[in-house]
Amino acid sequence: MSTLVLDTVSRWYGNVVAVNDVSMSIGPGVTGLLGPNGAGKSTLIHMMGGFLAPSSGSVTLDGQAVWRHEQVYRHVGIVPEREAMYDMVSGWSFVQANARLHRLADPDAAAQRALDLVEMSDVAGRAIGTYSKGMKQRVKMASALVHDPPVLLLDEPFNGMDPRQRLHLMDLLRSMGESGRTVLFSSHILEEVEEIAGTIEVMVAGRHAASGEFREIRRLMTERPHQYTVRSSDDRSLAAAVIADGCASAVELLAAHGGLRLGGADARPGTLRVHATDHTRFVRVLPQVARAQGIRLFEVAPADESLESVFAYLVTR
Amino acid sequence: MTVPGPPPGETGAIHDIGYRHYDGPRLGSAYIARSLFLHSLRGAFGVGRSVRSKVTPLLLLAVMVVPALIIVAVAVITNANDLPLEYTSYAVRLQVVVTVFVAAQSPQSVSHDLRFRVVPLYFSRPLTRTAYVQAKLLAMSAALFGLLAVPLLVLYAGALLAEMPLWSNTRDVALALVGAALLAVVLASFGLVVAAFTPRRGLGVAAVVAVLLVLAAVAAVVQGVASDEGNTTVAGWAGLISPFSLVDGVQVWALGAESSAQEAPPGTYGGPVFAAAAAALVAACYGLLMLRYRRVSLS
Amino acid sequence: MNATVARLTVHTLLGRRRALLLLVLPAILLVLALVLRLTVGEDSRVDVAVGLLGAFAVATLVPLLGLIAGSGAIGPEIEDGSIVYLLAKPLSRHSIVVTKLAVAVGVVTVFAALPVLLAGLVLTGTADGIAVGYGLAALVAGVAYCALFLLLAVVTRNAVVVGLLYALVWESLVGSVVPGAQALSVQQWALALTRAVVGDAADVYNVTAAVRLAVAVPLLVAVTVASTWLAGSRLRSLRLTGDE
Repeated sequence: MSTLVLDTVSRWYGNVVAVNDVSMSIGPGVTGLLGPNGAGKSTLIHMMGGFLAPSSGSVTLDGQAVWRHEQVYRHVGIVPEREAMYDMVSGWSFVQANARLHRLADPDAAAQRALDLVEMSDVAGRAIGTYSKGMKQRVKMASALVHDPPVLLLDEPFNGMDPRQRLHLMDLLRSMGESGRTVLFSSHILEEVEEIAGTIEVMVAGRHAASGEFREIRRLMTERPHQYTVRSSDDRSLAAAVIADGCASAVELLAAHGGLRLGGADARPGTLRVHATDHTRFVRVLPQVARAQGIRLFEVAPADESLESVFAYLVTR
Repeated sequence: MTVPGPPPGETGAIHDIGYRHYDGPRLGSAYIARSLFLHSLRGAFGVGRSVRSKVTPLLLLAVMVVPALIIVAVAVITNANDLPLEYTSYAVRLQVVVTVFVAAQSPQSVSHDLRFRVVPLYFSRPLTRTAYVQAKLLAMSAALFGLLAVPLLVLYAGALLAEMPLWSNTRDVALALVGAALLAVVLASFGLVVAAFTPRRGLGVAAVVAVLLVLAAVAAVVQGVASDEGNTTVAGWAGLISPFSLVDGVQVWALGAESSAQEAPPGTYGGPVFAAAAAALVAACYGLLMLRYRRVSLS
Repeated sequence: MNATVARLTVHTLLGRRRALLLLVLPAILLVLALVLRLTVGEDSRVDVAVGLLGAFAVATLVPLLGLIAGSGAIGPEIEDGSIVYLLAKPLSRHSIVVTKLAVAVGVVTVFAALPVLLAGLVLTGTADGIAVGYGLAALVAGVAYCALFLLLAVVTRNAVVVGLLYALVWESLVGSVVPGAQALSVQQWALALTRAVVGDAADVYNVTAAVRLAVAVPLLVAVTVASTWLAGSRLRSLRLTGDE
């Protein structure tokens, strides 16, 4: 039980379309749902969790519709975004109650295991109302993991966590993804998604803008020239040769720290930025040209293969 | 800081469109208080808000006015010489409606700000706590006065239409309006205090209603039983228990109206005591509100 | 019926301020009953009891407590979103509703029906079945109100105001002016039971009800069952949105 399938799902509220014709398939591993605020990520996660009905289309878990089907929660764990919990019970009681509600055979052991996993065992005796935001998030995680679900949905899980807690949670999610679970989390912070998500699904203004591994998406963005940063012993000749070859549309001579380099007499080493329109040709041509002209290449690296540039491109499209 | 303009003869220029500091005239804190008053007053009737928040107050207003319309219609048709009920007793007859209005709209006024912790934002402006509390109190009182006054005016207009004696009706309605103003202030202070201490949604409404209704019912029971037993003194003093009968007692004493409760305040000291009690209640509620807003937190 | 849901509901329902209200209201009733018992003469005690229990307890106290208990059993959780922890479980929604209703009914029994019975006993002893009659009416009305207001709390976020409009404006005000409205009033149905228990003395003591027993009981049962079932169905389609 591990694949969530969304099939042409749309959700509208009167005249406002929150999610517009989204189709995606979430399989085992860690998937990041990325998008700016208001892109429809929360709506999508609520639909995947069976808390909101799609206005059209269907959301299914291994073929079984999620809406109005209580038994699906045996296989799904949900970490909601909203903070409110039962403030007057202790963390331990809360997780144990969740275990009982799942009709687990040994709720105490399951609760203990879940609390150990999120490193909350030592403070579990205190009332939830006394917890900090990060601790509440971890208790939420524990309550979602208590029945060991194959599918885990997290709505903005890193909200309010300090760096150490974030790293811990990232490790946890990564290990769960590696063990074959389907983990989906939403975020609008690129660094978080970049670090642990194998696949990303990008939502922009309710539409499904892109999906896949972000380097693959970058490769598909053919209108934008790929940028490469090159450091060599003679940037100018290299630049001239690359332009003459025609695989690049522009070259920039930058100072070492990125600013513009001053006039030709300045022989300080800097970097060359190449805007390659045909990057496959460029990566073949570059070493040939360098060898032909006797130029040493010190560094060749892609300059815009970050998720940030992918994301910026998708959002402004 | 702008880039110096172009040399004469050229028409291009770069304008600084960054953040601008405002140095012009600023309206004073009286303006802020007045705006808050107007905003709260409009909110009490759902003006300027969603349709859903208009339903309850307008429905209650309608329920308040419809009986007046019916009475007027009947009086006109039957050519009566006198309205079947006193102006001053209208509010007491419909006290359930007024109670529900206070209960429903007091949380609208103060509980929202407290629950979502917006109050510190108010106080980070040139708005003192005193001004805030006073503006809210005045707004709620004004809203209640509106609720109470509209049916009274409808009755008055109807009386004039039915060609009832002008002077006595005008005098009566004026006295009733004064009484309505007093009732509005008393109920508003009471409602706002309870609402300010119960910011959770739904609980404030229930608390205000519970307290007002129970007080009214207790007063009614005590008065009823005491009257049946012939003990008019106790029946009279029992009017202190409920805000409605309290204000009614003050009306009887100060404005010479007829009592709508079972018994008027007893003896020569009854009236002044009632008036003092009403004043003390308002003062106490005001004090409690000031206490509540003394410490507001951001989280 | 689920013990864990019940436990969690008890925690939210008997939170500090709500518990205070729940305690104070019946306390006032009992104090009044005691005071009246001590001050009123022997012969008019039953009339006083009828007035107190009918007009104060069943007409005012029981609807209020039913409102506080019924809407408080599920309303706060829906409003702040913590109901997601109950809904994200393989639990039947009907079982959640029934459990919460049971807790609310328990609260109403302890804080409304029992005090009414006690007040009646204090005032009139067991004479003429007044105490039992009104106690029973309070219990039955309390159950119906809890079910009704629980449904309201699932359906709308302004459950308390709507409930008040019904219980006070419709049942008391409109009902006293437009007799037909009383046929649709939970209070009147409950009072029919009182009439039945008090028996022949009902007319003597002016214990009235707008509907006959044969009509009242099915109506009460129907309203309670229908409200509970509807609440369960609506809970299945509850929309949990983000921060509102």
